[in-house]
Amino acid sequence: MNLGTELFGFAFQYIDSVAFLILSAIGLSIIFGMMGVINMAHGELMMIGAYVTAYSIHNGVPVPIAILFAGVGAGIAGIIMERLIIRHFYKQLLSSLVVTWGISMVISQLFLVLFGPTMESLRTPFSSIKILIGGDIGFAILGPKSFAALADASGRLPSGVESFGVYRIIMFVIAVLLIAAIWALMRYTEFGGRARATMDNPKMANALGINTSHIYAYTFGLGSALAGIAGGMFALTASITPFFGAAYTAKAFITVVVGGSANFISGLVGSVLTLGGVQTLFTNIFSVYIGFVGMIAAAFLILLLMPTGISGFIERIKARTK
Amino acid sequence: MNHPKAGILGFVGLLNGPQTMGRSRLFWGSFAVVVVLAYLAPTYLGIKPYKVNEFLVSGFLAASLSILWGYGGILSLGQAAFFGIGGYTFGVIGINLWDLTGNTHLALLGGILVPTIFAAIVGAIMFFARLKGVYIAILMLVLSLLFETFMLQTADPDVYSIGKAMLGGSNGLRPASDIPSAAFGWGDSVAEFNGRRVGFYYFVLTLLIAVYLGLRCLLNSSFGYLLVAIREDPDRTATFGYDVCLIQLAVFCIAAALAGLAGSLDTARINRVDPELVFGVSANIMVVIWVAVGGRKDLTAAILGAITLEWMFLWLTTSGNPEYAQIVMGGILILVMLIAPEGIFIFLGNRLGRLYARSTALVSRREDT
Repeated sequence: MNLGTELFGFAFQYIDSVAFLILSAIGLSIIFGMMGVINMAHGELMMIGAYVTAYSIHNGVPVPIAILFAGVGAGIAGIIMERLIIRHFYKQLLSSLVVTWGISMVISQLFLVLFGPTMESLRTPFSSIKILIGGDIGFAILGPKSFAALADASGRLPSGVESFGVYRIIMFVIAVLLIAAIWALMRYTEFGGRARATMDNPKMANALGINTSHIYAYTFGLGSALAGIAGGMFALTASITPFFGAAYTAKAFITVVVGGSANFISGLVGSVLTLGGVQTLFTNIFSVYIGFVGMIAAAFLILLLMPTGISGFIERIKARTK
Repeated sequence: MNHPKAGILGFVGLLNGPQTMGRSRLFWGSFAVVVVLAYLAPTYLGIKPYKVNEFLVSGFLAASLSILWGYGGILSLGQAAFFGIGGYTFGVIGINLWDLTGNTHLALLGGILVPTIFAAIVGAIMFFARLKGVYIAILMLVLSLLFETFMLQTADPDVYSIGKAMLGGSNGLRPASDIPSAAFGWGDSVAEFNGRRVGFYYFVLTLLIAVYLGLRCLLNSSFGYLLVAIREDPDRTATFGYDVCLIQLAVFCIAAALAGLAGSLDTARINRVDPELVFGVSANIMVVIWVAVGGRKDLTAAILGAITLEWMFLWLTTSGNPEYAQIVMGGILILVMLIAPEGIFIFLGNRLGRLYARSTALVSRREDT
């Protein structure tokens, strides 16, 4: 394998892990950035999204619309959660952590009772199209027929050729689009202005006639909807169980904590780029487990240097240069 | 002020104080009754030790989270990590030294010390970096899950064995038959406590009462006052010249030692450590549920919470569907947090205390007239 192939392979894995981190953390980081609440039931909202997607697709709904349904379903679930329970805990951060954890336990067990331990898994879209790099081929995008012609009987490729899935790249593109959309929403719309005012100074915002309680509910719903969309997208790559979300939440929590709450977009982008890099590097050199360990070690190191997270650090530098 | 009352020994005086609930004669009277009943329970009340022993071990773990979260204001969602580290250490040392010494002194000591040292390292990083409380809570949970993932992939005995002990991946520490029960003494006079027998029950009950009384003294000493001061307002406490980080680190280590003790006892009880059961999400959430539902800001309430909820959980799982038991547990947590956020036993204790105070006031008024 030559250097070019290796670099491209590394870049692809980097993009892949960044996409997974963005999607699994974006909903969580909006809720954390706006309200300071870490929603421990985030994984369960993703799981709800996954179930909605799977149910819709099994009933003949096209994939993109099924994922939108997932967002709507999880968003509604989030707003119900917020109105019934979480709004009572805004002033007590540690208690909100505990109570959302209780919610997560109830939801996942409820799904286990209602729908059983697994759901029929979904086929990854575009899984027949492969991007091939390296060896004598150089670079090629192949459909199933030419792919079969190239590979030997057991599906192995000629030496030096690496294959990558298209869906991973689509996931990355959507992740980037979602960040851009959230940024635009916060920056240019009236809702965004009200939300930022509420985040900045809730009492003053309230005095100016903004219904902060509604803003909190909508923000929580938005974060939940994003979790649902992420869950729907992941559902196409993994097996769907009631504990489906748990596989992503540990990394999502780390991403959000490293990002900090000063500005969730810069925090999310900064922390995803760093942690994704560390994870890819360590996974490549050692193993998947060491990749996870490296990520957590990096998180500790970053927090040691910047106790308010990456976004807090950026804000401080901005304030200093002004 | 926490000066012991005149005429009473200093140590006994510290048992009562504003940091712990239950100072009246009524409390100590019922405490004595409960202790006597607990000692008589296996012989006269038909309590099965092999069931109840687990609850008593949980009491230590609940006490550990109560002093850390309730008194120190530091929530750790991964308190079971120390429980698991203690359990594994006890098992590994026990397997290796049993043939040599025939007792588990060193294993128990290691089961307490290793988690404490680990807590000192992690805590030093977290507290001196002045991390926010939410971050600490999350990082501890992630650390616990990290241990779980690590232990799950240690199935290969050639790589992952310490002396005679094999970490054993998802099967837990092996050879399980060699994990000793708690045993103390030398040579011919070794007292061994089988975790399913009544001996272990008396041993753990006595230890729990001793630890409970000891912690009451600690919490009513000036250290306890400092803890609560830091919980209420760390900045102001720092202005008074106290080293807030150091005290937080100290309580973090004490809590880890207690959790390690609980883990060691649990390994000795069932002669088994299973990574998913000690490091997993549900292990960690259960500790938080006991303490939050019982009442985190009081030691007695937290321990009572652990024992009653474990009892209820066992009853729910054996009489019905284990999945429903978890839903009920989560539901109880949410309801208690909404209705009685201070916890059930603190709520009840306050009510009882007010009633008792009113009745004694009534009695004394009658005596006056």
